[in-house]
Amino acid sequence: MASEMKSPLTVKGLGKNYPAFRLEDVSFTLAPGTITGFIGRNGAGKTTTINTMLSFVHPDAGEIAFFGLPFPENDREIKRRIGFVSAGMTYYTRKKLSAITAVTKSFYPEWDDGQYAKYMSRFGLADDKTPAELSNGMKIKYALTLALSHGAELLILDEPTSGLDPVSREELVEIFLKLKDEGKTIFFSTHITSDLEKCADRILFLQNGHLNADDTLDGFREAWRIAECGEKIPEELARVSRGECRVRDGFTVLVPAEDAGAFNAREANLEEIMIHLEKEADAE
Amino acid sequence: MMKMLMKEWKLCMHPTGYIMLLGAALVLVPGYPYGVCCFYMGLAIFFICLTARENHDATYSLTLPVSRGDAVTARILFCAVLEAADLLVMGLFVLLKNAIGSLPNPAGLDAGLAIIGDGMIIFAVFNMVFFPIYYKDINKPGKAFGFSATAVFLWIILEIVGTYVIPFFKDVLDTPDPQYMREKALFTLAGLALFLAGTAWSIKQSVKRFEAVDLSL
Repeated sequence: MASEMKSPLTVKGLGKNYPAFRLEDVSFTLAPGTITGFIGRNGAGKTTTINTMLSFVHPDAGEIAFFGLPFPENDREIKRRIGFVSAGMTYYTRKKLSAITAVTKSFYPEWDDGQYAKYMSRFGLADDKTPAELSNGMKIKYALTLALSHGAELLILDEPTSGLDPVSREELVEIFLKLKDEGKTIFFSTHITSDLEKCADRILFLQNGHLNADDTLDGFREAWRIAECGEKIPEELARVSRGECRVRDGFTVLVPAEDAGAFNAREANLEEIMIHLEKEADAE
Repeated sequence: MMKMLMKEWKLCMHPTGYIMLLGAALVLVPGYPYGVCCFYMGLAIFFICLTARENHDATYSLTLPVSRGDAVTARILFCAVLEAADLLVMGLFVLLKNAIGSLPNPAGLDAGLAIIGDGMIIFAVFNMVFFPIYYKDINKPGKAFGFSATAVFLWIILEIVGTYVIPFFKDVLDTPDPQYMREKALFTLAGLALFLAGTAWSIKQSVKRFEAVDLSL
């Protein structure tokens, strides 16, 4: 209980019903100073979960607490301690960054001009630019700068690397790692799993509105192996395998690590695990 | 709340808000339905809400350490300040018009004290219709504007027709100042009361609706 009180974010039994989609019983707790990857295919419910966590959408079930404080009851205090960055959002595209910053800082007593100047300089941002003049990567960096300048302890990032080139993505991943070193907690939703392979401590895998897996990155990878087969999947392999993917020379299947000994299976990466489990779900 | 009002001004204000303030100068035009000047400010408010949608203002506002209710209250109060400024400018032009010589207006109330009271009623009607509909779905400001513009024009038509057929309008309100100043002042005070009460009601309804809605951002 004591560690839960200190957790930057605790979600218990979160649920939301839509006519064509249901988010069900999503529960997890973030450890301070870690990067948690929140993965799942498009439409799995990642953004719905985040929107519900931030009260943009009202949950039908569940409890949310930031830093041990129930949300949304303590929304003002909590919002002072978190930062939300979404790739799909650009605020006030024709206003100068200086104007957006001036308004934003007025809401945060903890605002640190030194930190702001430091991150603006580190990210190569200029106050006289407008968001419309920034690349997608720079927009994310500006949003991060605002969050970090008001001393956000928890950063909630919704698909921050979507639509970025590999170099920009790498750069952002390095920034996330530096922020983690500074003690920030990062909750990072994405379907670009290779970004998480480089930085995440823990993986939450959301599948069709259900939290299918919650494990460390290493634990998640060690739980699975990939077996490559020819045109036909051997019967004994088919009995234990999960999901099959067509590749150039035949098929690959996902095998639980404890069953993989009898087969010539190799280590699986995050993307392969996610794709095979999704394929299995599709087949059902 | 001051911070949120400043946010509305610095980030959400649309240029038409300033331009439509000058629309109050239309009271200088002879034979014009002066209530329409207030409709133009309603149009500016529609543009403010439309621009807010395009700039993802709701997402920005709700990530600030404020409640949904604060965001709604700030927007409506900011618009009410614009409306009050519009009436103030209109009042100045009414004084100017009366100083240079005013002719009777065949298209509704004359440019006098009563037109300020009439403007307050128009803004009360606009606020009571526009904001509660808008905050049911902030992605559809056009729908809210359609209903509110209809309500405003119905009142303006009533006011114009009233200057021909309703004795209080025809014989008392639609007269050159300073005739019947006591009655006109009472009418204006009643308009002010309706404006304040209507805007307060609008805030209450809008907050209630916006707090219940799931935002598709």
